[in-house]
Order: sequence, then C-alpha cells, then structure tokens
Amino acid sequence: MLVVSNIDLTTDLPTIKPSTFLESSIKDFTLNINNDYRYLKTGYYVSLHAEILGNQVIPSSEDIVDAYRTPILLLRASKAGIPTVPYIVTSSVKQIIAEIGFPVILFAVNPFSYDGFRIAKNRSALYRAAKSLEMNYKFPVCAQPLKGKVVSFKSIFGKCEMDEKIREISEMVYEVFGIPLCKLHVQRVEKEAYLCGLQPLKKEELLPNDLKAISEEIWQISKNGEHRVG
Amino acid sequence: MVNIGLAKIACFVEKYNFTDPKEARALENFKFTAEKLGHRFNFMFRENLLEIPKYDAVFIRATTDPLFTAYIVSKTAWETGLKVVDDPKSIQICGNKIHLYSLFEKYDVPRIPTIIINKDDFHHKRILEIFRTFGRPVVVKAPYTSFSRYVEKVACETSFREVAKRFFRKSDVLAVQKFTPTAFDWRVGVLNGEVLYVCKYMVPKGRWKHGAKRRGKPSFVWGRTVSLKKENAPAKLKETALKACAVVGDGLYGVDIKEVDGNYLVVEVNDNPSIYAGQEDLRNKDVYEKIIRYLTD
Repeated sequence: MLVVSNIDLTTDLPTIKPSTFLESSIKDFTLNINNDYRYLKTGYYVSLHAEILGNQVIPSSEDIVDAYRTPILLLRASKAGIPTVPYIVTSSVKQIIAEIGFPVILFAVNPFSYDGFRIAKNRSALYRAAKSLEMNYKFPVCAQPLKGKVVSFKSIFGKCEMDEKIREISEMVYEVFGIPLCKLHVQRVEKEAYLCGLQPLKKEELLPNDLKAISEEIWQISKNGEHRVG
Repeated sequence: MVNIGLAKIACFVEKYNFTDPKEARALENFKFTAEKLGHRFNFMFRENLLEIPKYDAVFIRATTDPLFTAYIVSKTAWETGLKVVDDPKSIQICGNKIHLYSLFEKYDVPRIPTIIINKDDFHHKRILEIFRTFGRPVVVKAPYTSFSRYVEKVACETSFREVAKRFFRKSDVLAVQKFTPTAFDWRVGVLNGEVLYVCKYMVPKGRWKHGAKRRGKPSFVWGRTVSLKKENAPAKLKETALKACAVVGDGLYGVDIKEVDGNYLVVEVNDNPSIYAGQEDLRNKDVYEKIIRYLTD
C-alpha cells in the first residue's frame, strides 16, 4: 500500500509527498491523505494520477468531484439512504423565497468556497448571501430549508466524536464517497439528523489527536487490507 | 426509421447561448428537428433544474466544466437514469486537459508533445529543462481552457513564471506544450464513435490560435470556419479523431487536430463542441438529426 500525504503523519508506514508521487509511476494501491481534495487541487490530482497509472485509490477522482458539489453530494447521499432535506439549485432569490421560504441555508455550488454556508432569515440577508456565494451570479446556489440547528464537525475515515445519529451519517458518507478527511455539515432536527454539506479541512484544524487517529486508521487499512474501492 | 414513442428532451442552455445568432439558429434547428421526429424539445435554464426527472433525455449546450452548473445538470440526469449529452465522465475528462493528456499518453494517441508541471515542482531548472526540450516559445495551458482562453505562449522565464503564477491560482497542475503553429486546426465532430462533421478552424492573420484576444480589449477575434463534406476529409485524420475519442467515451465530441508534415497530432478532445448554423452543419446537414436520434435511441 502506498500512502501519499501532504500531512506529517505519525505512522511508521512509508509515505510520500504528493509532488513526488505526481512525478512517479509507482503502481500500488494508493491511499491519498490530504486535508483538501477539491477539484483542481493537489489532492484531486493525486487520485487522478493514481487512476491513470491503473492503481486502486482512495478516494476516486469522480467521488472527489461529486462530494464537493453540494447538490450531487445530496443526490448521491439520498440515493444511498443517507437522510437529507429537499434542496433546490438556482440563481433566483425569488425562487428560493417561493419554494423554500425562511430560514434557509445556502451552499455555494462552486468548489472555491472555504466559507461553508450562509443562513438567511429574511429577504435582505438572502440577497446578500446569494450574491456572495454565487460569485456575482456566475454560479447558482444550493438552498435547503433550515429546520433545526447546523452542526459542523471533522470526519476522519468516517469517524467523528458526535452522537449516534450523526456518527451514522458520517460513516455512511465515507462509505459512499470515501473521502478520508473532511468537514461535514449536518442539520440536527430534534432527534433526527440530515446531511447538508461537505467541505475541505484546513491543515491547522487537524490537531495532534486527529493525526494520531489518521495514522491508526492507515495502519488498520494496511494491516487488514480493508481497501474500500468502488 | 419509425419512432417508437415520443421522447421529452431538455436542452440545458444559459442566456449567452442565444447571443450569437448562428448559435441561436442552431438551437432552433435542434428544436425543429426533434419536433419533426415527433419528440418534445424544451430549453431548460438553471431555474428549472428541478424538472430534470420529468424528461427522458438531456442535451447540454451551456458550457461544461466540472465547476459549472452544466456538470450538476449532467450528473443529476445521469443519476436519474436519463440519456445525457454531455455525460458526466466526458465532462470530467474533457474539462480537465491534464486528465485528457494523461489518457492520450497512456493509450498512445498521436498528440502535441506535452509536459505536465505541478506547483510544488516549478522552479528555474524545470523551466530551463522545458525550454531545452521544446525550444522557445512554448504554450502554457490551464487545465480548464475552453474557447482558446487560458492558453498562452511564453518565450522567456519571466513570462513563463507570470503566466504560470496566474494559472496556478486555480489549478495546482498545468500543461506545457510544444509550440506548433499551423494555418488552421482541423475540427472533427464525433458522435458515438462515428464522424459527424469535419471543418477547418482557420487561425486569424498574425495570430497563432483560432480565437485570439484583441490587444487592449476584452473581445476576441475569431478565424473563419471552413466546412468540408466528411467523406472528402483525409481518412487518416478521421481515424486519428476516432482514436482520441475512444479514450474519452461514446458521446458527442469536437476533436482539434494539427496537421504537421503529413502527420495528424491531436491538440484536444472537447465535449460540448460548438455547433453554429452555417458552419459545422454547412456540408453535413444531418448533424441535428443524428444527435436527436442518439438522444432518443
């Protein structure tokens, strides 16, 4: 197993840097560890390069593209049985008001946004949020009704330190998309939880305990040969 | 041929698709042809994406890229089980030239010599090595290039660094190609592994690509499009185009090819190729019908 990582891990397994891997033609099962897998970023290209070499890789380039586009994330998640709320994709504030109303949670439908989501409780807040997330109307937004409270947390190989409902969502998202490191946004509505969105992590968000958890997961995968490959 | 049943086709467009009269006329031709064949053909804008499951097929004419709304449309249609042109896999491959050139290399498609560079391995020695390999100038290409944008020619290290810095803002990996000037690029339209039309995209005088930015202005100057009957195009050209498309998929593509010393070198395969009335369709009138039949097959 080849571990390609842009993060300094504590594992004893040999790891190589993404820039070294991108210049190589190493053929082996590839575990791509990166805080940011967004399209066009190095994390994406590592998976793409592994696929071109014919390697099995976690995560796949297709899953990367899909996971960071909120409507596709929700569509595929919903098909896999992960609880989600209905959403619309639009550039029209009027359509959001007519079909969803307030309060509403908006996600950018472009993978450049690090800022996550915006919540709008009235018309003027909605206009401001939509303009900002649409990058001056170049992209639409994904709007979902806000029914409860949004909870954001780190998911490491699908594991997180949250309650059972949210843990289930985190595990299922990893099952479907295989993104080893990400931040998930979930709506908590009374005792239920619904997936809202997925984002990259910033390197500084990874604490020493997280690095230890990542290294342990890599060790387990290496030991058990638990290669989740779609 | 008998139509078994009426199909509902959604044609995903953005407002800009109607700004050029030739493109607007081509869109009307698609609608007319579909209706003549007994199908329903509606233009769908980004406000109507919830309607995708109501259709049998989706035909995307808005610019595609994994970052654009068109990808959401394509993937949603695909996941819903509809026939879709352009399909999401084709958008992923053609929308990223790094992906495309890597596949060309893997499957030995005749191509313009290309080097892939990444942000963390871009330094003085690497630049000199590229100039030594390809000579000067070289062409720097962002992976998301379309309509001749984000493709620039550089002849010295300073301009190489300046262009790369700009392109690296969005993508961590870029392509560098040998500068291969020609009077025109062949454009071969391919659908489902068959040649659909053949054109020459002429390069405007004093320029080096089909579409070039006017100096000091935001607008572009475009070369002429010369259409040929596909039967009259060189067999080796068509064979090369089909080989290039085979590594991408079986959808609708426009293959750009340069002819150098009798050899055909693929520049790129584009999904979502331009189809303008009086240009790509001029000598190949069946373009519209073939695409509609493919969508409703």
